[in-house]
Amino acid sequence: MTGSTAYALYGVFALGAIAMFLLLPQPQRSRPLVGAVAGLAALALLLVVLATRVATADTTVYFYLFAALAIASAARVISHPRPVYSALYFVLTVIAVAALLVLQHAEFLAVALIIIYAGAILVTYLFVIMLAHQGGSAVYDRRAREPLWTVLICFLLMATITTRAAVLPPAASPKGVPVSSSVAAGPAQLDGPPATFGNTAAVGATLMSRYIVAIQMAGVLLLISLVGAIALSRRKVRSDVPPMSARPLGQIGREVQPF
Amino acid sequence: MNMPLDTIKYLGITILLAPLAGAVLAGALGPKILRGRTHWATILGVAAAFVASIMLFQTVRTAPVTARSAQVPIYEWISSASGADIAVEFLVDPLTSIMLLVVTGIALLVVIYSRDYMRHHDHPEPGYERFFAYLGLFVFSMCALVLGGNFILLYLGWEAVGLCSYLLIGFYYGKPAASAAAKKAFLVNRVGDFGFGLGIFLIYVTFGSLEYGPVFDMAARGITATGEALSSERITAIALLLFCGACGKSAQLPLHVWLPDAMEGPSPVSALIHAATMVTAGIYMIARCGAIFAVSPVAMNVVAAVGALTALFAATIALVQTDMKRILAYSTISQLGYMVLGAGVYAADSAVFHLFTHAFFKALLFLGAGSVMHAMGGIIDVRHFSGLRRLLPATFLTFVIGSLALAGFPMLSGFFSKDEIIHHALAAHPILGGMGLLTALLTAFYTFRMVFLAFFGPQRVPEGVHPHESGSWMLVPLFILSIGAIGAGYFGTGVTHKAFHHFLEPVFANTFASRNPHHAASHAAEAAHASFWADYGLMLISGTLAILGILAAYLIYVAQPWLAGLAKATWPAAHRVLWKKYYVDEAYQAGIVDPLRQSGRVCVGLDDYFIDGLVWIVTAVPRGLGYALRFVQSGLLQGYALSMVAGLAVILLWVFW
Amino acid sequence: MIGVSEHILLGAVLFGLGLIGFLSRRNLIVIFLSTEVMFQGVVINAVAFARYHRHLDGQAFALFLLVIAAVEAGLALGMVMLLYRQKQTLDAEDWSSMRG
Repeated sequence: MTGSTAYALYGVFALGAIAMFLLLPQPQRSRPLVGAVAGLAALALLLVVLATRVATADTTVYFYLFAALAIASAARVISHPRPVYSALYFVLTVIAVAALLVLQHAEFLAVALIIIYAGAILVTYLFVIMLAHQGGSAVYDRRAREPLWTVLICFLLMATITTRAAVLPPAASPKGVPVSSSVAAGPAQLDGPPATFGNTAAVGATLMSRYIVAIQMAGVLLLISLVGAIALSRRKVRSDVPPMSARPLGQIGREVQPF
Repeated sequence: MNMPLDTIKYLGITILLAPLAGAVLAGALGPKILRGRTHWATILGVAAAFVASIMLFQTVRTAPVTARSAQVPIYEWISSASGADIAVEFLVDPLTSIMLLVVTGIALLVVIYSRDYMRHHDHPEPGYERFFAYLGLFVFSMCALVLGGNFILLYLGWEAVGLCSYLLIGFYYGKPAASAAAKKAFLVNRVGDFGFGLGIFLIYVTFGSLEYGPVFDMAARGITATGEALSSERITAIALLLFCGACGKSAQLPLHVWLPDAMEGPSPVSALIHAATMVTAGIYMIARCGAIFAVSPVAMNVVAAVGALTALFAATIALVQTDMKRILAYSTISQLGYMVLGAGVYAADSAVFHLFTHAFFKALLFLGAGSVMHAMGGIIDVRHFSGLRRLLPATFLTFVIGSLALAGFPMLSGFFSKDEIIHHALAAHPILGGMGLLTALLTAFYTFRMVFLAFFGPQRVPEGVHPHESGSWMLVPLFILSIGAIGAGYFGTGVTHKAFHHFLEPVFANTFASRNPHHAASHAAEAAHASFWADYGLMLISGTLAILGILAAYLIYVAQPWLAGLAKATWPAAHRVLWKKYYVDEAYQAGIVDPLRQSGRVCVGLDDYFIDGLVWIVTAVPRGLGYALRFVQSGLLQGYALSMVAGLAVILLWVFW
Repeated sequence: MIGVSEHILLGAVLFGLGLIGFLSRRNLIVIFLSTEVMFQGVVINAVAFARYHRHLDGQAFALFLLVIAAVEAGLALGMVMLLYRQKQTLDAEDWSSMRG
């Protein structure tokens, strides 16, 4: 990444770190208002940095919109003191990410994301939150542990990954078309199914042809987790009824209904 | 024709292994299976050894005079490339066969005696089986010492008898005095053995071999292993170092201190080990190494002087002791001094002759004292009993016979053997000879002082003791030894044409006899048969001295008992010095034992503070590190995760920057 | 044109935010929720690379990621329920018996 972009990103990340630090729930130091303002500023700056690298056109504005939404709601997921709100903000994050996926022409994945995440996983989370309800915001929700170090280290990690570790393709020439190319709108080209297939069919074809074993393993994994979840959450059943084998046959016959 | 080597080999192996087998059986099967019959294992083992010794003696005696020495290899033990070849081999010659007879014979009588001694009212004492096992082990060790054909086997036997002595002195290990005495014996012997070991090293360095044959041959010819001339300093050094060992084992000045304390052991032990056999190992060694000693006049003078001094020194101490066994112990030291003196004046055959007779009467005296102790319920201090001659008649009779022999009463065995030594000593060093005569007078006096105090006078016994004469198991050995005490001396006199000395002649022919500088002086008078006085003058003088001593003791302790108190009152200081054994023990305590203890304490302090401190400092580093880093282990998942992420960030930074 | 690099940046930011939430929140459920946020970042990344390399492996991978997320959510929440039954609290700092 070129020097100026990198330094600009460092500035953005620094501002974002400060914003996050102020947003995390801490009894004395948290300044949600200041943090929110700083966060939005950081977000805006990020989008500006991105924008200067690419030509404005077509679907890019939607990208920025949904990107901003995803980042903001993710920030709120981790910084909201009440778990229920965290879960709800997470739903928002999922929707934003799904939209981004649609922009990438990965429609099947987007819908699957919404169904599975927002529909199943989040509902499970909400159930558990309700089951473990503590009545109001508990003390452990109001205080984050070691926010300073956490924020510093994680933003350092992010900065390193983005500016250094990820060797990105060269930036676009100003207002020009980026050298990395462009996949035109439309279905991806693959070896196998014909170009007339839609995204869902293409993904399905890929899965069934190249990743068939992985699908089987995924199924087994799901089965195992199902069994595991049941085993984990079983309450010990103390029954006053003696086991079947201990009772005389005649009695068993009278108790056990045929249908 | 030479001696039949095979016969000798098997006889030698029997002599060695039979007592060992008896000991092993006694030790292994005794405690649980044999119990009160354990003595049979040792008796049979030692008896087999004794019979084999007789057969060995016969074999040697019937061989022609020129071929009475044989080196019999048994097996190759250590053979190394650098030339240290050590074999297990026997050297069998007249000296060996006589020593073996003495050792196994006295041992057999002692073992038989012990069967009754180690019992109370016919119940074996606790540790009965252990006793017989140790006795068998001792006989094995002593036979190994005597039979060995090289210095390594000599040293091994030497150490082994030292070990058995320690085990047997400390037999009543629950008694603090006994275990202290055992330790003292072992440590004092260690000092002597250190010198002995150095001597053996020096022999190897000088002569390149450890076998008797080559070493004595080279020493006699005056050359070393490389063929150069043997310097007189070297051979004197070797001889004196070997003599160190003899001082330790045979209780000569200044290493005599362990023998009186060793009387804490049971009386059979004192009789066997500290009278007849182990303590004579030093004399045997000097006799055996005649080739080395005889070529060094300096060493011989030292040996003679030490022997005479020890004899006189111990005799004076014995004058005032009240414990019968202690008196006998000091008398043993004194008689050993005679033997050493004999060896020192080139009369090794007389020394061995005195060893031979001394074994009989000293063992007799110790076993007799044991009989008295048995009857007196364990008390042996003459201040607590007297007038026992009517209560214990058989013991009295045999004890008197032994005492007469010890005192040198004319015509008994001790008279002949002691007389010879004094004769040679007077010819070589008149002063030492004079000391020998004085010692003879004192010996007669203190021996009969002991007899009169214990067996004469009013009958009194310690409280609660019912004295009874000992059983036949104890009395028969006493009688047999009495016969020896009376008659053993005749082997060395004109009656048998000095059979003993002629038998030993081939052993000492090239060594002591041929190099005796006083040869001319002592033999000239004899050869001339100049006068009655020259032939029999010394015998007359020593006989008279013995009788004078006995009469003096009779006068002071029986006829006019108040005289004893008068002597003590007149010279209290002298009495005190003698009673305290010339303060030798106190000197050792102050000069050696206490400083060593002190340095031990210093070392303990060093260890506790300095070394432990160093170790503490070394361990402080990981402890400190752990203390410093303990906070990282908070037990919290997120703390660990944060550390992980931090590490990841650092690594990525490092890699990609 | 929005290329791979922008998507990488977005994915990294989401991942980082999820990491912050995982490391700093004390509520067990919010911790797992934050891991789900991290998953979102990874999904975006995978799909972007799929488009870059012009085949659908990335999308297939993202689907499997979804499966794993579901599995993990189920089991994690089961364990959270067990832990909640032990101490009636969702505080992650209560379970520190491995300290020292």
